[in-house]
Amino acid sequence: MRHLADIPRWCDDVTDSANPTRFARRSLLKAAVLGRRDEPGHITLSAPAGGAAVAHNSLVYAVTGRILDVSPHILVLHTDRGEQRFPLAAATEAWRGGSIAPASLRQGDRAIVRRSLPGGPVVDRIWAEIGRVTGTILDREGPNGLLVDEGPAKGRRIVMIGPEATGRIQVRFPRLVPGYLIDVIGLKRDGFLQALIPATSQPPYRAGHPPAAPMVNGHVPDPVSGTAVWHEPGEEPENLLGLAYPALDPETSCERGASGAMACSGEKDAVDPHDTGPGCVRLPYLSVGSVLRLRNDCAERTRLLPVTSCGATARLFCDRCVTCGTSRKGRIADLTMASFVELGGALEVGCFNATMMIGG
Amino acid sequence: MLTALREVQIPLLAVMLLGACAAKAWRQLSSHPVHRDTGPTGLFPVYLRRPATVAMYLAELGLGLGLIATAGRLGHAGPGLPATLVRTGTALFFLIAVGALNELRQRRPDSGCGCFGELSETPIGLRTIARSGLLCASAIATLGVPPLRMPSSSAEAELWLAALAFELALIAFLSPELGEILVRLGYSEPCELRRLPVGRTLSALHGSSQWRRYAGQITTATPVDVWREGCWRFVVYPGVARDRHVDIVFAVYLQARRPAIRAAVLDADTDEILALIETHESAFF
Repeated sequence: MRHLADIPRWCDDVTDSANPTRFARRSLLKAAVLGRRDEPGHITLSAPAGGAAVAHNSLVYAVTGRILDVSPHILVLHTDRGEQRFPLAAATEAWRGGSIAPASLRQGDRAIVRRSLPGGPVVDRIWAEIGRVTGTILDREGPNGLLVDEGPAKGRRIVMIGPEATGRIQVRFPRLVPGYLIDVIGLKRDGFLQALIPATSQPPYRAGHPPAAPMVNGHVPDPVSGTAVWHEPGEEPENLLGLAYPALDPETSCERGASGAMACSGEKDAVDPHDTGPGCVRLPYLSVGSVLRLRNDCAERTRLLPVTSCGATARLFCDRCVTCGTSRKGRIADLTMASFVELGGALEVGCFNATMMIGG
Repeated sequence: MLTALREVQIPLLAVMLLGACAAKAWRQLSSHPVHRDTGPTGLFPVYLRRPATVAMYLAELGLGLGLIATAGRLGHAGPGLPATLVRTGTALFFLIAVGALNELRQRRPDSGCGCFGELSETPIGLRTIARSGLLCASAIATLGVPPLRMPSSSAEAELWLAALAFELALIAFLSPELGEILVRLGYSEPCELRRLPVGRTLSALHGSSQWRRYAGQITTATPVDVWREGCWRFVVYPGVARDRHVDIVFAVYLQARRPAIRAAVLDADTDEILALIETHESAFF
């Protein structure tokens, strides 16, 4: 008889794992043991040496890279495939802190572009140096500086709210004080985010008290509707196709280790999303490597996406997306930036109404 | 009738206070304890919330026990001072609750009342405030009630029961917790949402026929991977079969008793399925 103490802890932290091939094979092994290997929609992950697992299903709309050159007619990006040139149409829009002419983009900027057609050469949207901070306010430094905790998996970020954006942000986030939630989009600067756009409206409750989800009888509804948001790559590859899932299996995920450190630091406003309950959507427990079918209800575009990290912070937000109609309450997926663009989302909007089918 | 109504208030108030205290203590000891910010204690500065919470527990416990202890002749020793003190304290407690809930409703409209260990997270409404007001009035009605006694006739007992039933129905109508209790009584958490330790999954697996069938081929004592998807937990062991390196995958359905278990053997290099043990239990996914 084996005792619990003899059983090692299986860590589902993709970025820290010494063996990402473990996650890459899960979809295949699950399909094999459940006898569903021939079903359509099977997705696999590859595992580059020393890196996190990457979806095999490559990006067909989104491209990420560093701007090497830009003119009114052409954009040159340094991507993971080397130098790539993209013709710009007259209708191509660019964002760098606001809508600008594509020719005004700067060399050296990190950019993500969206093609007009899958795999096509022409791009219709470009976002440069866009960033986002989502989490709990831990500290306020002066009138403009905030220290924000993005959760045990992502750590802390500094947000600076410029005078030109203060009014716009405070209308949607009236309580810029420790203990309350913030979600802002802006320009990435050296060591901080210059907040420019509120990504949602501030929930009225303190971060540690999201309302409980209604109880579910029988099985959890499938598909599930709600809000899909995006997050910055952080330590993930920029072109990672996947999502941070809000309800990873607590028995095999590792984020609690970091949260223990957070609790020890004595910051009374730090919130461990694992301790606040399931949030306002009841989602089934999954693991890194699980595959979901996610639909952007606004763009009517669907992709199979693997779970690539923990998105427990999304549980704290019981908000709705109003990009096209009003979504159901609660965040069901926190997409990588590339996935969000791939599904037709506009990064500066911050969310889209989504429908998620568990199991692909 | 009025006398009967006044006499039933003492046990009723004692049960309400002790029940609220017990519910708070139970929630505090459970896996998801109530945060100190819930209910009226959220109105205090952060450093005072813990003392305020403890004071509220103690007040409920002390008043509940005090109402019972002073209900008989003991409370009416001398000029009846002990009973009057406890009952006045109870009335004051519920009066403060009315004010605090009203204030909380204005300042934090999303917040629950924190009653009965935040059993219901329904935002504070007029019904919740009215309930505290009713209990305050009940406590005032007990002032001057003589020591409790058994009913002298069956007619009087029926009158007492009728008064008690009426007031309980009124309190139930004013309580958002009642709906929550009824839902919880009939609620069974779906397997996709149920937390189940890995150790229990492995225990179930090690007692299964599928495990006995493949135990001879498994080469390590512990699995190389364990993960969960909805109602299934997957466990992978490396093994050797006919001189080939294989992965032996078990899928264990997450239920407490006699879970469905499936197994497959895959070539570790080619991923070719070498064996598949299928069962026909219905399962999600």
